[in-house]
Amino acid sequence: MSKTSSRDSSSSRNSTELLDRYLQAVRFWLPKAQQQDIIAELSEDLHSQIEEKETALGRSLNEAEIEAILKQRGRPVLVANRYLPQRSLIGPVLFPIYCFVMKVVALCYLVPWVLVWIGMMSLSSSYRAQHASSGWFAAIVSGWSALWLTAFLALGTVTIVFSVLEYLETQSGFLENWNPRKLPPVRDPHQIPRSGSVVELVANVVFEIWWIGNMSTRVLLNRPEIRIVLSPVWRYFFWSFLLLALVNAALAGVNFARPYWTVLRASFRLVTDCTAAALFCWMVKAALIAEITGANISAARTVEITNVINLAMARAFPILLVAGVVILLVDAYRIFRVKNAAPAQLKGQVPAAVL
Amino acid sequence: MATGTKSSEVLENLRMELRRGCLIVAVLAQLRSEQYGYTLRKALANDGLAIDEGTLYPLLRRLETQGLLVSQWREEDKRNKRFYRLSGEGESILKQLLAEWESINASLNKILQEA
Repeated sequence: MSKTSSRDSSSSRNSTELLDRYLQAVRFWLPKAQQQDIIAELSEDLHSQIEEKETALGRSLNEAEIEAILKQRGRPVLVANRYLPQRSLIGPVLFPIYCFVMKVVALCYLVPWVLVWIGMMSLSSSYRAQHASSGWFAAIVSGWSALWLTAFLALGTVTIVFSVLEYLETQSGFLENWNPRKLPPVRDPHQIPRSGSVVELVANVVFEIWWIGNMSTRVLLNRPEIRIVLSPVWRYFFWSFLLLALVNAALAGVNFARPYWTVLRASFRLVTDCTAAALFCWMVKAALIAEITGANISAARTVEITNVINLAMARAFPILLVAGVVILLVDAYRIFRVKNAAPAQLKGQVPAAVL
Repeated sequence: MATGTKSSEVLENLRMELRRGCLIVAVLAQLRSEQYGYTLRKALANDGLAIDEGTLYPLLRRLETQGLLVSQWREEDKRNKRFYRLSGEGESILKQLLAEWESINASLNKILQEA
């Protein structure tokens, strides 16, 4: 009899302790000013529930039954959280804009970073020697660590900026002030802005005039103190870039007259961009500087400078290649988009138009 | 199976949304007579509107902060309990909410009859 009584008393003590531990854990997450009030009410509610169950069973609840009641109430931090005002680092008003900016940062900053890294590792032997000297695995680990740091800084900065904006928004409600008239006009992805075509046309014409006037000879600079001569291969580049500029100017003119992309013109743009990318890649690898002579520079020194410039240009090859691939992908996507456009989307186009 | 689970989740979410506003009206209506949290919860459950304590107590505090309820700690059955009742402002708001609810109900009935 005394054994049963002692076991009951011990179980009741454990149950009370469990309850106190639960209340203490909830209290931890509550604001100080409300702790006592909320805990007193929660404690009272729990005691009422326990008492009701004990009356129904005709005996005290054991530890397992108390545990079940507490589990049903929920994790202390969640219980406490329900008493707190709803808070968020970035609220529902700014969250879609935040997501959009994150995507832009990832696409315009992190993706090019990865592509350039891959390009440098695959195509630049000096970069590879510098970073992969202790093996490819170590190079990948070091590359990814640098990427994570870059990503952490870029995305972390965006998050901090948006949390400050969120704070300012809750204080001033500046996002409430907006005007439908200031919304951007409806965008047609197939339309070529005429302003863009004019800029392209003018830029190409100005370039052609400058190109013919200044770049037609192999002598890049001819001053008493310094003379720079390009290698004989330059004449290929001169005529190729000139031809490319003429074609681009013609395309800009056609785009101005008919400001909607067609498959033919989009393909033409792909070809010209492809040619430009190939020319740039070839140019940086072609050891373009043939000779540098200076009044006060020794012959050995000029050879050294020439080699340094040619090497520096060659090192830009992976970056140019990656940039070229990105531009070509964008051009290819444009062709795909125009090809798959619904007829209604191609408004303003003459169906039979070739250009 | 997955579609079934998803549709039951959707139903549960919609049901919760539908109940949320009604629960406030029910709590205000119940507190026209003074009650403490536990008995209020039992009363609501007996009337078919079960509400878990994690929702009820924060709601009571919010309604009190908004001035719709008044509360008082008092000893009953050798335990301190917090008793709530509707304030003057709460009564006026409840009246308006009930009118709004009746209006919504009437509109809904009309729409359902038309359908």
